[in-house]
Amino acid sequence: MKCYLCAKEGKDNDAVAICIVCGMGVCMDHLVREEVEVWQGGYPFPAKKLKKTVPRILCKPCYSAYHED
Amino acid sequence: MSLAKRFIAEAVGTFLLVYFGAGAAAITLMISEGAGTPVPFNIGIGALGGLGDWFAIGMAFALAISAAIYALGRISGAHINPAVTIALWATRRFPTREVVPYILAQLLGASLASLLFAATVGMRAVTVGGLGATAPFPGITFGQAILAEAVGTFLLMLAIMGVAVDERAPPGFAGLVIGLTVGGIITTTGNIAGSSLNPARTFGPYLADQLLGGANLWSFFPIYVIGPIAGAVVAAFLYDYLSS
Repeated sequence: MKCYLCAKEGKDNDAVAICIVCGMGVCMDHLVREEVEVWQGGYPFPAKKLKKTVPRILCKPCYSAYHED
Repeated sequence: MSLAKRFIAEAVGTFLLVYFGAGAAAITLMISEGAGTPVPFNIGIGALGGLGDWFAIGMAFALAISAAIYALGRISGAHINPAVTIALWATRRFPTREVVPYILAQLLGASLASLLFAATVGMRAVTVGGLGATAPFPGITFGQAILAEAVGTFLLMLAIMGVAVDERAPPGFAGLVIGLTVGGIITTTGNIAGSSLNPARTFGPYLADQLLGGANLWSFFPIYVIGPIAGAVVAAFLYDYLSS
């Protein structure tokens, strides 16, 4: 699979990941990888943040849309 | 989350339950004051709309409980009921050292709710509405009242186990289902012993009634301790047995 955003720029780079939101294949230059907190519980037990986080990969357009504010 | 924050959350949650739930019962008695009741079993709640009166009171409880669970569940667990706390502790899901602080928070929140409700409405809420205090209805024995409270709380705790404690339960529905379950139980068993299902919910109005010169109902309090705790504990153990 090729990077969609590179292809739009006329480049030909392999995709290394898929955006979890839009499904776009992206290269290393067009992805944002972040660690997401994981919470467990809520009712009838207090929610607690787990020690380990979960990685999440988004393409840059989706990442910027989520962080617009 | 610190125990102090969870203490406050439990107190606030129980406050909401008692202010809006027991408050609805008090208001119903106040607006039905003077209305003729065809049978002695009817003390006023039911004089306006029959079982619809109890349904309305049940819905007030349902919505207040749902709001408390969704707003405070992540913080303290929103037990807002000593019977629930004890049942979770009895089945080894809740730490022993936190049982007493949780129950104290629930009793405090319930008491503050009844006092504030009296301040909001005035003394008629005490003298006519009894602040929504629960007591056995005419013709209901002490034992029958305990049984009604136990069976009602059994269903409440069974719902909590199935929709919230069980990890296989679909997420997001707990607050709504548990609130509506309480509403349904109140509709059916309200006219037996008030359908407290919760020692704190009875403790608050009892204490405030006594402090403000209303009726002294403490002789009935064992009903609302024994019944709910027995029903909740049996439901929790039964659910564990059935799902093991």
